[in-house]
Amino acid sequence: MELGKCAEARSADCGEKAEEIGAEHFQLGEEIRTLVSAPPASGSSFTALLELPATQAVKLLHSPELEETPRAAELPPVFPACKLSVFLGAGNSPETGSIPVKQELTDSDSPPDNSLPLAADPMAVDGDRKLTKRKEREKKVVKGPAKKSKTAAACEADREKLPYVHARREKINARMKLLQELVPGCNKISGTAMVLDEIINHVQSLQRQVEFLSMRLAAVNPRIDINLDSLLAAENGSLLDSNFSGIIMPSMWPEGQFNVNRQQCPQVWHQTVWGREEGNPNFITPENSLLSYNSSANSASLHSNQLKMEL
Amino acid sequence: MSLALLLHMTITFTPASRAPMHSPSQVKRDFLKQWLKCLQMCSYPKKEMSILERKKAIKLSADVAMASTRNATSCWSLALIAKASKEGNNKCLVEHLLDQESERGKMASTFQLAILNKKLRSKKIIKKSCSVRRVKKLAPRMVLASSVAKRLVKNRTQVLKSLVPGGESMDEFSLIRETLDYIVSLRVQVDVMRCLANASDLLNCKGVHG
Repeated sequence: MELGKCAEARSADCGEKAEEIGAEHFQLGEEIRTLVSAPPASGSSFTALLELPATQAVKLLHSPELEETPRAAELPPVFPACKLSVFLGAGNSPETGSIPVKQELTDSDSPPDNSLPLAADPMAVDGDRKLTKRKEREKKVVKGPAKKSKTAAACEADREKLPYVHARREKINARMKLLQELVPGCNKISGTAMVLDEIINHVQSLQRQVEFLSMRLAAVNPRIDINLDSLLAAENGSLLDSNFSGIIMPSMWPEGQFNVNRQQCPQVWHQTVWGREEGNPNFITPENSLLSYNSSANSASLHSNQLKMEL
Repeated sequence: MSLALLLHMTITFTPASRAPMHSPSQVKRDFLKQWLKCLQMCSYPKKEMSILERKKAIKLSADVAMASTRNATSCWSLALIAKASKEGNNKCLVEHLLDQESERGKMASTFQLAILNKKLRSKKIIKKSCSVRRVKKLAPRMVLASSVAKRLVKNRTQVLKSLVPGGESMDEFSLIRETLDYIVSLRVQVDVMRCLANASDLLNCKGVHG
């Protein structure tokens, strides 16, 4: 069916198109022109749809119905994109007369769904009303419409484009589920907003941890000098997947002093490492003279079983 | 104890953790290698740095290293590298690093930078014009639950876009994927840095008490 094809052809472009829409937002008339020029696919019905309401859209745009905040111009493009794509395949007859928008706005009764205005809109529709609502809807997409009009108009179009829109929503929902699994504590939360909250908190906490750890590392080391050659030479032969997690455990220790005695117990370290990595002698040699890890004298709780096994 | 030694130690001692793309330790090793190189480049210009400079250098190297492990496969890494190379001090550093890695990554980063600049500029223009033109009609309207929920989601999406590097120029669909990638990389970074910090603390304590 042509409608479905047109919609799908533009599915990938909806995001970019919405970007372009937002980018050209500063003049309402120009927005429509942008929309006309943006769609790559044929969409003859779409362009016809656009050309026709160009004048009326401008008129409708200035209607007092629109009360959306400026930020609405930058709607998450998936939402307006979904709704915009809804219109794309709407090859309908040209509009005959202007239909009061308010009537349609007040008629809608959208159920609570933050993803899409749901179907089950009991309004009866004829072609003209549909078209008017779509044009009004599309320019509201461009401009950042009042929510009621969005829900009213989108309900109409959604019924036609339901499968496509559902597919996209399902993709988004699948990814949100992945995110929920990744972020700890998100599994029990229902609702996109709260999940997004948790994700934001998680990302912020990770970024703060990076800052804190980098400051901590900067404090520990007097300077960042690197004896690279020997290290890299040994590195190639010693990159094994060690489960020696004892020496490095995510627990907080008090900041140590800077004076690390390098000559202290290189032998102990050597033995320790040797005991652990029989198959990787390369690692040991450059480290001996440089490390001062006294494992034998260790009584700290940090050390794991592996370390204690060697001692 | 120099930082690099600790880095090298942790290369062999990285604890296993979850990473969806490659084996976890492989990712960490890659990150460590990159970080090592970055730090080496940082240390060449000057030998004595204040603590803040060191911290900035460490963080920058870690960020760039993290981004380069992705090999320009994700948008945020390109954006991060582009942002890092925008500052004059870091430019040669980042470019040097990228030259070692891949020309493709460098070109991608510069390209991405241009795109980002363009989009950000246009969005700023729009914001300004909207705030000037728009007359806010605060007509009392029945608040629908869906509209409230949509607004909440929209707000949070905006915040998330500001958090993820390069997020402003993404649509919500790819934003989620970039967030996933970014969270994983951040976790790798935090794990490795924490290992390093703990190791250094341990060694310092041992050095003091031993």
